[in-house]
Amino acid sequence: MVVLSAARWIRSRLTDRFWRKQEVLKYARHFRGRKNRCYKLAVRSVRRAFVKSTKARAEKKKFLRALWITRIGAASLEHGLKYPVFISNLVKSQVELNRKVLADLAIYEPKTFKSLAALAQRRRQEGFLAALGDGKEPEGIFSRIVRHHY
Amino acid sequence: MRPQCLWSCAHGLVAKTSLSSPPWPEVPKLPDPVEEAKYHAEVVQKVNGMISAGEYGRLFAVVHFASKQWKVTSEDLIMMDNVLEAECGDRIRLEKVLLVGADDFTLIGRPLLGKDLVRVEATVIEKTESWPKIHMRFWKRHNYQRKKIIRNPQTVLRINTIEIYPCLS
Repeated sequence: MVVLSAARWIRSRLTDRFWRKQEVLKYARHFRGRKNRCYKLAVRSVRRAFVKSTKARAEKKKFLRALWITRIGAASLEHGLKYPVFISNLVKSQVELNRKVLADLAIYEPKTFKSLAALAQRRRQEGFLAALGDGKEPEGIFSRIVRHHY
Repeated sequence: MRPQCLWSCAHGLVAKTSLSSPPWPEVPKLPDPVEEAKYHAEVVQKVNGMISAGEYGRLFAVVHFASKQWKVTSEDLIMMDNVLEAECGDRIRLEKVLLVGADDFTLIGRPLLGKDLVRVEATVIEKTESWPKIHMRFWKRHNYQRKKIIRNPQTVLRINTIEIYPCLS
């Protein structure tokens, strides 16, 4: 018997509902409470977890830079310099090491860090001397204390 | 009426007040440039001698590669988050070296060291993709969510050797 029209009593049923839910639940298995088992609760938690991990990727860079700066500051204080002095003088001496590498050197290569601190200190003193010049007052300028001669 | 500065006269005659000395710290005098040049030449010669005699142990270098700086020794692995146009097993020379150090001496580049002074060689080991990172955006109460899976290409290099040559001047 040839049937030309499709049978009208066939329903289309979702058959892989289990696996679609498992795709979400697999990311929630290490959560606490019912949200690691129940799909409705898990969907919300997993969504928040994804969004937080996305935003954290940008903040990780800020956080690590702040950590490096703290470490470099602490290490340069051990050698008698503050962080802004150290970094500014290194940059003026054309040493282009970034904070990540400076922090690693401060931890694992203390002698190298000491030599960098000495370089920064020496550049600082040269800068002061260049700024002070002769030590004389420029002409025609009143200094802060003026002695009156009567 | 001549303006005078308190601290340009003799220090011993003035009592210590808030204006008796300049507000900047005392700068110690720098050593004599001629003597310093002699000392520098001595140090350079000594380091050159040490390099040519080979009296150094493991060398480390700070290399600028793939827009990042890496502190690198021999036999260690580096992974970068991009594609390198070299096949697996190719030997590569990393040219931008910022610093080379051994136990007793460090060579600091301003900003780079010469190519005739240092040679850092590496081999490309692996070219893969990263683990699937999930990038998700969600605005609450606006029925807006977008999910994207990001796979970055990665390259793994093994640093074979770091060599220095006695070309200091």
